[in-house]
Amino acid sequence: MRGNPGVGSIGAIPEIARITLRQLLGRRRTLLLVLLSTLPVLLAIAFRAGGETAIEPFTRRVFDTISITILLPLVAILFGSGAFGAEIDDGTIVYLLAKPLSRWAVVAGKALSAAAVAILLTVASTALAGFIDLAPAGNDGVLATEAQVLAMVVGSVCYVSLFLALSLFTRRALVIGVGYMLVWEGALSVLLPGIANLSIRQYALGASAAIYSLPVQEARLSAETGFILAGVLVAATLAIATWRLMRFELPGGAD
Amino acid sequence: MTAPRAPEVGALAPSRELAPEANAPTTRAPAASPAIELVHAARWYGNVVAVNDVSFTLGAGVTGLLGPNGAGKTTLLHMLAGFLAPSAGEVRVLGRMPHRDPSVYRQIGLVPEREAVYSFLTGLEYVRFNARLQGLPNAGGAARAAIARVGLEDAMDRPIGTYSKGMRQRVKVAGSLVHDPQVLLLDEPFNGMDPRQRIAMMDLLGELAEAGRTILFSSHVLEEVERVGTEILVMVAGRLAASGDYHAIRALMTDRPHTITLRSSDDRRLATALMADPAVFAVELTEAGLSVQTAQLGAFRRLVAGASRSAGVRLFEVVSADESLEHVFDYLVRR
Repeated sequence: MRGNPGVGSIGAIPEIARITLRQLLGRRRTLLLVLLSTLPVLLAIAFRAGGETAIEPFTRRVFDTISITILLPLVAILFGSGAFGAEIDDGTIVYLLAKPLSRWAVVAGKALSAAAVAILLTVASTALAGFIDLAPAGNDGVLATEAQVLAMVVGSVCYVSLFLALSLFTRRALVIGVGYMLVWEGALSVLLPGIANLSIRQYALGASAAIYSLPVQEARLSAETGFILAGVLVAATLAIATWRLMRFELPGGAD
Repeated sequence: MTAPRAPEVGALAPSRELAPEANAPTTRAPAASPAIELVHAARWYGNVVAVNDVSFTLGAGVTGLLGPNGAGKTTLLHMLAGFLAPSAGEVRVLGRMPHRDPSVYRQIGLVPEREAVYSFLTGLEYVRFNARLQGLPNAGGAARAAIARVGLEDAMDRPIGTYSKGMRQRVKVAGSLVHDPQVLLLDEPFNGMDPRQRIAMMDLLGELAEAGRTILFSSHVLEEVERVGTEILVMVAGRLAASGDYHAIRALMTDRPHTITLRSSDDRRLATALMADPAVFAVELTEAGLSVQTAQLGAFRRLVAGASRSAGVRLFEVVSADESLEHVFDYLVRR
């Protein structure tokens, strides 16, 4: 008869999240991502210095071109795929899995920490850049900044969940993620309106419409649809990650 | 010139079985419910068979899992630890099938072969992390006690990244026994340890066994088993080649036929001199020199000096051709 590993699993989530945070923050690539996240802020300073404080040009040239197109997917894909990926590569995953814990708790701890770091970085960058350049635009500037921040939160959670799950199937999750970002999100979703329902970028932009209708080129989903599809994606990918982790096998090794 | 004679091999102890009989379940430790039980267990990857029809049961005590690299030891341990499903047969730990049953880890401690540990944690943090994931009420106290058992108190506040290989092994062991598991599985636990650390670790395993724990550790070094494992399982090419008392199997390994190659000033004359001795059961003249087979290595070493002297032959080189563990295990399989 099987025991019940669920008892005590909830208490383990903060422990797993804490270890994962230290793993993710201790990497050199995190420093590069921090540097990348300063780019929208520097551009906002330049816009403000040039007297360009209207919502539309800033949103199009900084938020739409850099923050949501490059910074968000890169940060979230790196943290999402790295939450399990590094532990699988170096074998330390054994220390997590050889414990009487439900696998959903392990996935939850990993996803929480990866999403937290991704949100922290993307939201800090977006909020600061918006505050710097859009403050003179008054209440609309504040709402536009809040909408951009919401898009970053929704996008971070979606990307992290998807690529965390993918990293349990392939060691090339990062490469696939960058390909997805460039080909699917960057090119196909712009050219083919029909695939908006399969684009995390569109979910994030759609959700942001709950606060403010951002002047971006190709936002195609309503706020409601954006939230629903994002929720479905997160629930489905985390469930798949849990299922996969329950069937996770270690290689036999050289011996 | 070849003159074969029957090799002399040590008599087998009753508790040991050699292949192919090893395929039948071997029962030791007459506990009602064995801690570890494999019944015709096999695991393959595509066309590659890593573990082939292995059956045995283990109760309390220390058992060494011996075998050369690639023998299937890690695959076997991973099946016992629930990280690999058997392709055929059954694997049970404490009466349960460990694959896809995380609750079994309350009673299993695992020390994997790979060296990687969370290098950014201190030794104490790492062991406490294990204790918390096990849901222990006093994780800090349990972690300190486990660290004391492996003698790492002085280094417990240092990051694991600064540890030597032997210290990493010890902190892994501390993490695996922090919850006082009934079954401890260790994959090459003595790797990287200096002789003093090895002895301390062997003594610790002995103490745990005396306290009623079931301990299975793998090694490819025969001598590592000597101090701690009275029972051994020998795996070769995925199969259980031998199992039973260490000393009986060790004797068999020592008394196995050895092949020694000699180069001398007159190989033919030396061959004639050696053939007269019962310790030698085959000689052959080859391009590399004189190939001699003996079942008594020590006696042959004493013999060869005297025989060459009395035959008036100068001895240039004496090389033992099959001293590697692979040859030893190979011999057991062929037996």
